[in-house]
Amino acid sequence: MKRYLLASILSIVLVASSFGVQAQDYSKYGIGADIPGACSYKSIDAKDYSGRTLNIITHAVPVMGEPTALHAKQFEELTGAKVNVVHVPFGDLFQRIMIPFQTGQAAYDVLFYGSLWIGDLHAYLEPVPAAYQQVSGMKDVTVNYKGVATWGDTMVQYPVDGDRHYLKYRTDIFDNPKMKERYKKETGKTLKVPTTWEEYNEIAKYFSGWDWDGDKELNYGSAEVAKRDDLMFSAFISRVAPYAKHPDVKGGFFFDLETMKPLVNTPGWVRGLELFVAAQKSFPPGGNNFGLGDEIFSFGGGQTLMSYSWDDAFIQAMQSGSRIRNKVAAAPLPGALEVWNRKTGKWDKFKTPNLAPYITWGWTSAVSKLSTNKDMAFDYLCFFSNEANTAHDLQIGRFGVNPFRKAHFDAKFWIEKLGWEEKIAKTYVKTLSDMDLSKNRVFDLRVPGVGQFMSSLAAGVSKALAGQETPQKALDGVAEEWRQIVDRIGKEKVREAYKNVVALEDNLR
Amino acid sequence: MMRTTYLLLKYTAILIWSSFVVLPFLWALTTSFKTAHGITSGATYIPWLQYEPSLEGWKVLVRTGGAGINIVQPYISSMVVTVGASLISLALGTLAAYGLSRFTYRLGFIKNSDIRFFFISQRIMPPIVLAIPFFLMLQYFGLLDSIIGLIIVYIALLLPIATWVMVDFFNNILREIDEMATIDGCNPIGAFFRVILPNSLPGIVVAGLFCLIFGWNDFFFAFILTFTKTQLLPVAVVALNSSVTPWWSLSASALVSVAPLVIIAFVVERFLSSGNMAGAIR
Amino acid sequence: MLKYKHFFLLPGLIVLVAIIIFPLLFTIRVSFSSWDVVKPGLDWLGGKNYERLFVDLRFWEALFKLSLMAAGSVLIQYLIGFSLALLVWRDVIMKRFIRVLFLVPMMTTPVIMTVIWRTILHESLGPANDIVRMFGFEHLTWLSTSGMAMFSVILVEVWQWTPFMFLLLLAGLLSLPKEPYMAAAIDGAGPLRTFFSVTFPLMAPISAGAILIRLIEASKMMETVYVLTSGGPGTATETASYYIYIRGLRDYQIGYAASLSFTYLIVMIISLTIIAKVMTRKIIRD
Repeated sequence: MKRYLLASILSIVLVASSFGVQAQDYSKYGIGADIPGACSYKSIDAKDYSGRTLNIITHAVPVMGEPTALHAKQFEELTGAKVNVVHVPFGDLFQRIMIPFQTGQAAYDVLFYGSLWIGDLHAYLEPVPAAYQQVSGMKDVTVNYKGVATWGDTMVQYPVDGDRHYLKYRTDIFDNPKMKERYKKETGKTLKVPTTWEEYNEIAKYFSGWDWDGDKELNYGSAEVAKRDDLMFSAFISRVAPYAKHPDVKGGFFFDLETMKPLVNTPGWVRGLELFVAAQKSFPPGGNNFGLGDEIFSFGGGQTLMSYSWDDAFIQAMQSGSRIRNKVAAAPLPGALEVWNRKTGKWDKFKTPNLAPYITWGWTSAVSKLSTNKDMAFDYLCFFSNEANTAHDLQIGRFGVNPFRKAHFDAKFWIEKLGWEEKIAKTYVKTLSDMDLSKNRVFDLRVPGVGQFMSSLAAGVSKALAGQETPQKALDGVAEEWRQIVDRIGKEKVREAYKNVVALEDNLR
Repeated sequence: MMRTTYLLLKYTAILIWSSFVVLPFLWALTTSFKTAHGITSGATYIPWLQYEPSLEGWKVLVRTGGAGINIVQPYISSMVVTVGASLISLALGTLAAYGLSRFTYRLGFIKNSDIRFFFISQRIMPPIVLAIPFFLMLQYFGLLDSIIGLIIVYIALLLPIATWVMVDFFNNILREIDEMATIDGCNPIGAFFRVILPNSLPGIVVAGLFCLIFGWNDFFFAFILTFTKTQLLPVAVVALNSSVTPWWSLSASALVSVAPLVIIAFVVERFLSSGNMAGAIR
Repeated sequence: MLKYKHFFLLPGLIVLVAIIIFPLLFTIRVSFSSWDVVKPGLDWLGGKNYERLFVDLRFWEALFKLSLMAAGSVLIQYLIGFSLALLVWRDVIMKRFIRVLFLVPMMTTPVIMTVIWRTILHESLGPANDIVRMFGFEHLTWLSTSGMAMFSVILVEVWQWTPFMFLLLLAGLLSLPKEPYMAAAIDGAGPLRTFFSVTFPLMAPISAGAILIRLIEASKMMETVYVLTSGGPGTATETASYYIYIRGLRDYQIGYAASLSFTYLIVMIISLTIIAKVMTRKIIRD
């Protein structure tokens, strides 16, 4: 009798809960509304993965780590699968992924990591199945980020984020008539958003070491990521690109694709480094030891006038409660009026500054070849990045999810959902989407051993910043090391990989 | 007069060092109640007056489902691994140290002092390259991502310390005690357990404390040799170190993770004061 | 008698060798291979890695900086640790509290505590410069000029590890026999003479042991450097162990890093043996 009663109660509960599922409107997950599609809440809800486990490695909380865990929990509730997530700081992520791969241990099914490692990881990654490349969310991904996800002709990374470097500046200074007047009087020049790195340095220097926002604390000109092993190489590439990436010279930015000779010590690169060294005068105290986190606090907290790197500092500044909310704006990275032409061996002069947007690496995801749950893993990634979830994640600054679909370049979204001022939203969207239109882009060195190349570059640049060596000598040293690295890894292997990067840069697709 | 000057100097020195020890903790305490806004406005110290306090830094430590990490499970795992490895290391290390202190071992040109140095030399190797062989070893035995696997690796880290410290302590205990015990009719093993061990409690306690500290705080192996199932405390805590360094929650976690060891330190101190072993036999 | 003595030593020795033998031999073998990010596995490269490290100036410079920083910080730790132990050895108010307080820094997780120190030394947002400015001085470049950066790394090391010395030396002091002191008192020796003729010689063996083990630990100094300066500015604070970390895990040149590690191991064993010999000889002479 008792047992019968229990069973009937159980069945009633079951029926009720299944009714509940059918009547689900999914808004309890914090999304506005489910957007129909192959990986929508409804479609994923229909799948049953109970009894199976999905292991995910991702970045530390919150940037990328928090959305990973959030959507993992939703995925658990919808499909009945068990999802384990481990969070790792960026500096340790690579070895955590690589050691199990090299030793054949199926440690993780899904990986979130920096897209520049594709050259090292592609052999261990499962290509994205054709069916997933046809879903609406994937089709809308911009050309740049499809390119970032692709190795040769195969898509091995699942795009979940779009990253790029751009300039951020304070509008309350640049648009302030008093400041403009003062700047004109003292320098004889017009204060405007810098379009070359020389201008950037000049303005930064002028606005360094005095209190221009009236908060009784000293302000400074520029916050940059300059700590050696803390992503400084990306900042440096941003500064170098317009001087070294000539729009008419094809065939490689880091190497000459034909000879595989390193180009890091050519005059364009040296000029970029000289300007980086000079810019140190406008850093806040300790600025030459700033990691990404410090840069975010410095610009996002209102200490510095300008900055450039990923979205984070801009988002920090625009957060509700920030004292400089709606007082910042985005612009393309400065360019150069003189560009080194390595074909002719001369500096070419430009009337309008040469821009070379650096489509820097960012967060991406992939499924391990060793995984025994590939179906579930791709469903998770597809669910993670479905339109409803992305629209939700884009609104939460700390998640670090940035526009990567055409649909995201709509100023209305930022004005309505996040309360940005119209002008800021418009310049932000335009800055970002213009990078996709550029015909003179620079991508990361997506080749095997990218870690070696970049840490060697960072060490050389760091020596120049500290005044231990001249920029030319430091970069000569880097070039020599790069030659050795190429020899060790194998010239053809590196060339084969670098060809893919050059194809992206020279717009061959 | 001289005595007063001495006392004055003594307490000034104690006060200065105590402040140096305490200040980082006070800073961590106040930082743990800040948010990003409280940090970017420069160094501030007093909540409400200088910044708006928030509990976010602490809440993150017990939250599940993405918006934080839950350190409860890692806390327990850390304790199990640390205590397990420490006890085994301490037992093996005490025996080995007693042997090295009392008997003469010879193997070719290898003498006691070389064996002792061999123990401690295991700590010289930088852990970076050991990661892969340890990984392969645990993989072979199917012990990756498990508590047992970590305990095994930690024994290799802790046993050398235990042995090294204990040899010094046994050397300090007069040999007469052993002889007295042997005359009383004990064999060396019996003498060790009945007489020596109780008399060397302070040494064991110090060595044990070192084992606990080094085990509790090891980061590197806990990091490389686990995936998703087993997580130790330091590894869970650095999972908060994202692009924006969260000063607040790292501060909170620093305070949380030091707590159990401080309690142990009080226990240890009691043994230190009470056990004047040289005095015990006279 | 024979079997008794093996009962003591062998269990520990066997367990240690069993755990460590494979990783150690494996590391030596890897150091002759080109294991890196593209070629995992044990190919045979001969002595190429060793040839390369022989002319790798950055490694030798890092080794030099390491010995400077390790020796400097351990010496300071010993002096302060010994002084503190002497101060709280006998009667002192709140004895238990002060003793435990002195131990606390060692119990913090270095990785996390160094992050806290980095926030303290943050040149524009941290309290260190705030206090300096309160006294009317210019802000200090804690982490951004070579000399200061080295000082800061040593400062953090001293904060964290002086307790280690303190505990070992305090335990040593507490276990000293009483007779020599009585004899000294009968001789009418003052406190200074008692210290130099009784306390210090009696403490010499334990001091030597403590210094040696701290030197070993301090030489692995890596997390402090990584978090505070990541070897900068330039290469000013790059230590050997941090350099091995960069080569091994950042660059993922496992083979080369293994050869660096093995060389480092040899250099350390030789220099520690010499240091140990010198210290023991000094003890015997005293």
